[in-house]
Amino acid sequence: MKNRYQRTIVATLLLVGLLASNDLAVCAEPVDFQRDVAPILQERCLSCHNERDRRGGLSLQSAKMMKTGGESGSVIEPGDVDSSYLLDLLIPTDGVAEMPKGEPALSTEEITTIRRWIAEGAAWPESVVLEPPVLWSLKPLTRPDVPTEISATNGFSIRNPIDAFVSGQLREAGLESAPQADRRTLIRRLYLDITGLPPSPEAVNAFGSDDGPKAYEKLVDELLKSPHYGERWGRYWLDLARYADSEGYLGDSLRPHAWVFREWVIDAINRDLPFDQFTIEQLAGDLLEKPTLDQKIATGFHRNTLRNTEAGVDLELYRTKEIIDRVNTTGMVWLGLTFGCAECHDHKNDPITQTEFYQLYAFFNNADEVGVTATKPWEIAEHETAMQQWQPAWADVVAKLSPFEKQGLSDEQKASIEKSLTGISKSLDWKSLGEFYETMESGWDELKSKLDAQWAKKPAAPSTKARAFSKRTKDRRDTHVHIRGVYTRHGDKVHPGTPAILPILDVRGDAPDRLDLAQWLFREDNSLTARVAVNRIWQHLFGQGLVSTPNDFGNQGAKPTHPQLLDWLATEYRRRGWSRKEMIRLIVTSSTYRMASAANSVSSQQDVSNQVLWRQNSYRVSAEIVRDLHLTASGLLDRTIGRRGIRPPLPAFVTEVGRSVKWPVSVGSERYRRGMYIFFKRTVPYPMLMTFDAPDATVSCSRRERSNTPLQALTLLNDPVFYECTETLGRQLIEVHSGDVSKSVDDLFQRCLGRLPADQERSYLRAAFQDVLGLKENETLDEESAEDAKVAAMIAVARIVMNLDEFITRD
Amino acid sequence: MSNECLSQASLNLAEQTRRQFFATGASGLGTLALASLLNEEGALAGGVPPQLSHFAPKAKRCIYLFMEGGPSQMDLFDQKPKLNELDGQPMPESILNEIKFAFIQKESARLMGSPRTFRRYGECGMELSDLLPHLSTCVDDIALVRSMHCEQFNHLPGQLMMLSGSALQGWPTLGSWLNYGLGSESQNLPSYVVLATLGRGLPGGASSWSSGFLPSQYSGTLFRNQGSPVLNLENPPGMSRDVQARSLQAINELNSLRLDKVGNPEITSRIKAYELAFRMQQTAPELLDISGESKATLEEYGVDRKDKSTGVTAGFSGSYARNCLLARRMIERGVRFVTLFLSTWDHHSNLDSGLKRYTQIADQPVTALLKDLKQRGLLDDTLVVWGGEFGRTPLGENRVNFKTVTGRDHHPYSFSMWLAGGGVQGGQVIGETDEIGWGVAKDPVHVHDMHATILKLFGLNHKKLTYRFQGRDFRITDVAGNVVNKLLSAGAAT
Repeated sequence: MKNRYQRTIVATLLLVGLLASNDLAVCAEPVDFQRDVAPILQERCLSCHNERDRRGGLSLQSAKMMKTGGESGSVIEPGDVDSSYLLDLLIPTDGVAEMPKGEPALSTEEITTIRRWIAEGAAWPESVVLEPPVLWSLKPLTRPDVPTEISATNGFSIRNPIDAFVSGQLREAGLESAPQADRRTLIRRLYLDITGLPPSPEAVNAFGSDDGPKAYEKLVDELLKSPHYGERWGRYWLDLARYADSEGYLGDSLRPHAWVFREWVIDAINRDLPFDQFTIEQLAGDLLEKPTLDQKIATGFHRNTLRNTEAGVDLELYRTKEIIDRVNTTGMVWLGLTFGCAECHDHKNDPITQTEFYQLYAFFNNADEVGVTATKPWEIAEHETAMQQWQPAWADVVAKLSPFEKQGLSDEQKASIEKSLTGISKSLDWKSLGEFYETMESGWDELKSKLDAQWAKKPAAPSTKARAFSKRTKDRRDTHVHIRGVYTRHGDKVHPGTPAILPILDVRGDAPDRLDLAQWLFREDNSLTARVAVNRIWQHLFGQGLVSTPNDFGNQGAKPTHPQLLDWLATEYRRRGWSRKEMIRLIVTSSTYRMASAANSVSSQQDVSNQVLWRQNSYRVSAEIVRDLHLTASGLLDRTIGRRGIRPPLPAFVTEVGRSVKWPVSVGSERYRRGMYIFFKRTVPYPMLMTFDAPDATVSCSRRERSNTPLQALTLLNDPVFYECTETLGRQLIEVHSGDVSKSVDDLFQRCLGRLPADQERSYLRAAFQDVLGLKENETLDEESAEDAKVAAMIAVARIVMNLDEFITRD
Repeated sequence: MSNECLSQASLNLAEQTRRQFFATGASGLGTLALASLLNEEGALAGGVPPQLSHFAPKAKRCIYLFMEGGPSQMDLFDQKPKLNELDGQPMPESILNEIKFAFIQKESARLMGSPRTFRRYGECGMELSDLLPHLSTCVDDIALVRSMHCEQFNHLPGQLMMLSGSALQGWPTLGSWLNYGLGSESQNLPSYVVLATLGRGLPGGASSWSSGFLPSQYSGTLFRNQGSPVLNLENPPGMSRDVQARSLQAINELNSLRLDKVGNPEITSRIKAYELAFRMQQTAPELLDISGESKATLEEYGVDRKDKSTGVTAGFSGSYARNCLLARRMIERGVRFVTLFLSTWDHHSNLDSGLKRYTQIADQPVTALLKDLKQRGLLDDTLVVWGGEFGRTPLGENRVNFKTVTGRDHHPYSFSMWLAGGGVQGGQVIGETDEIGWGVAKDPVHVHDMHATILKLFGLNHKKLTYRFQGRDFRITDVAGNVVNKLLSAGAAT
């Protein structure tokens, strides 16, 4: 296999050689502006030097503008190559040229063309006005033809069009595809990608021995039906939604019912709510006709913004900051455009003006923040159970009341007593109750305090409020441009509207509203939404998107590595009715997805960073999944879906740094719930999550970092929660396998890694077991503790395996 | 021409290839982080990545003494005779109109003089209040800035501004930026460490040392000054050091087998991380073991001082003194950035007693730290910064429910900070406030200017230390910041 770059170099050198030797011949024919020069200007200069952006004051759209020059004066002197500043900017020194800024220098051929054009007088017909290039992501979305001439190679069969596109690009790059991964790797990959949980040894073995032709597809279907799928893919969405359980800033008050939105996300994804509907409900569920409770809850998406309520703070300033975040988040999540720059001035890189930013702002400026009663049936059931437990003791004390009852109470009065004693008031109303009893009798005071005490224990009825939007009807706010981003400096008044560069907005009623905005995202001619959305799905199945900057499809973002594939997938997402499950099924059943991930699975392959996709990627699982793996392997996991968050134990020195942070540790099996349910307090985030790169929930997060640090090692080794898992697992192994070390090690490997150990691995672990056993025996000379030492040694072995890179890696 | 063309073309291509290679890495930062990891191991020569070193650095490390709550500048650093004279008078209306307060009722507010006495100290003749008897003995080493200003008049926005250059939560703090730009120098300790002496707790909690949108590895690590210094540093119960060592051996053996099998370079980093973690386990406790410090040193810092007041966290004074001493021990061990939080200087009421108490806590150990660093030759390349998020009003605070006026409200429009070491020209005062200490009268220094200057001391150009996030190149100075050249010593100004 030849080095791709070497081949390019050779080819280019040949070309340059040819050009050089034909120099005279080339010179013979004069440069034609439209044929030779215009494409270079368009491709390499006009995205910055256009009428709108005028970087450095220079536009190169027309001859007139070119002659005007920029801030540094004229750039071209017709006929005078030496005085033409443009050439100084273009000619590279040590391979780097001043212009185009931040991009590869022009080729020698291109520079020669420009040089000759200037020398010949820089002719530019007045009638010719060049158009700046259209950003790739804004180009209309059309369905590319699937390459057909591609045939299966090296075990890489063309299972669906994805494979045809990928295989085509591999062939072009001269790269060989990696072999398909083995079944054990595949099942673990699928489990982790779809549910975020590892497969059980039984599931691995069953899949390994299922020879049916559709075994793989069956497994995929099964996993997509698992309720854990909604958790896994819901968590991705919560990153985008900057979900947290507190407000942020000083005070950082709790949002005790934020989980209702989280639960909505999990449920919506599990029932495969189509992505257009999923979006519309979150941006404008309250504006739908007769919205359901669920649709109102969905609008909680934009209620997850940080909120500053510090005493004395300028509340209006921070209200505007929340709306700005809503605009930015909407842009990044659905359009892959970073509007943020336009808060203060016209966007420098993307075609968004400041006025347009505030037109988007106007959509959100009249959304009132409301609480919607959203008590869940299970909360009511929980309350009923608690009431049943409370009731007998209450009935006992109430029964003691009758001897004190005054004689001859009317039915009406008795009903009044009944009402008081079954009411929902916080404390008993003795003012009215007292009238009906002989309160001077001995024993009354004692009974009264008993009644009060038991009443105080009465379980509070649940009253869960979802954080939602509703249309502001009174005192509607006008929206103005904030000059230089200062909210008190009003510029022009603006109305809700979408950027001119994007498709037009259909308006249902008199004025555009959030529902129009949400529906506009899914117009046929809005090419961004589908591209951005499908790229996110891809990202979660390959560790990196086809566009590596998932929130930025603008000029500063990355370009797609597989533009045709991206567009094909985007059109496919629409064709499949925006079904997320369908798209996941499509992608994971491709040969591309099933390739091995080992960096050495094809020897001496170029493309180290796997841009062309010659293999799957291998990467560490996300923070929450690190926890889930431990809990699952040790059998401790509580699989409850949704509901309230939990608080695992934390040392006081961590919680004390915030202001009056209460951290009541969760009890019972709740302690072993998945990582995504850990209560997220913005000023005191759970350290394990942060150590493993969970986002801080201040702004929308499209892509997590994957760091690899000593603090991660310390957490995996010593965190009490993780140690509890290793301890549990170690004990179980000794018990189940009656102290047989080899069997224990095999079982341990299967539970944690979904495979059996290789001989050398087994012998390393046996040796470690023996050594630790020896150390333990030396530590305690007590003979009775021989069994304890064995358990301790097995715990140490479990801890070793749970600290392996492979354990927390999705291969 | 053809030869020239040819060589130019091949140079271009070689350069392009190299650039593509780096640009297509999983993330640029990963490369950077790996470089810093390798650096520590001496496997990669050259120190600071060349593209990031913009000037010759003077400072290599920083101890940031953060005085949370807003210390009162006119009672500590900035004598205002005219204010004393006008005690009890209303403010000129022209000033009041424009201003927002957190708590003051504008209409009935009155100026409040300071009961402190000021004297000149040192060769430079710097004026300081009688509340700083210790610091007054080393004024020739410090540069006092009396003209700090900002717009943020609430605690957390002000603190975030001072710590991260933005009033919004979610930006990287100064220590994160420096480590992102310069990498780590410590083999066994995190390179950005935080110690907190807590009064009412920190308004921002962990966001006060957050890496914001920078990768989490640049975040500060909270240390304890007693017991086990770092979360999860201690082995689980019953896991002896020998068992730990044997376990790590097996972990690395098995990780190495996996590396051979799949060739994924991330495994190499994982192996290295475990080695570093084990070393941190051995060395971090030693950091807290101050038994080897001389009696004189312990006394200088006041580590065994008894708390004079009652009713507040026991050992508050001793704890802060201990933190100051630990800060020195950390930078000796290669930690690049240490933040010591001392909370809470928020004296809305009982300013006199509050300031007395807080200066008693801070003045002695901070001064001891400066002298200790100087004596050990560390002050030359260690920058020490002292300051809060803002200062306090020349007006007395007449909050609605206050019966008497005994304190001052938040005041970001002029306040004081000081710096020492690390290329700072000591023995000077920069800037002036107006007669009553309301606004800056001369040489204003905005928080962004301070950040630009600190980066300059570390050899970094604040306009070039950027990180692409949400489609924008962010920097700690946002779109502002001018280096305060007066602050730089002759050697640092180049």
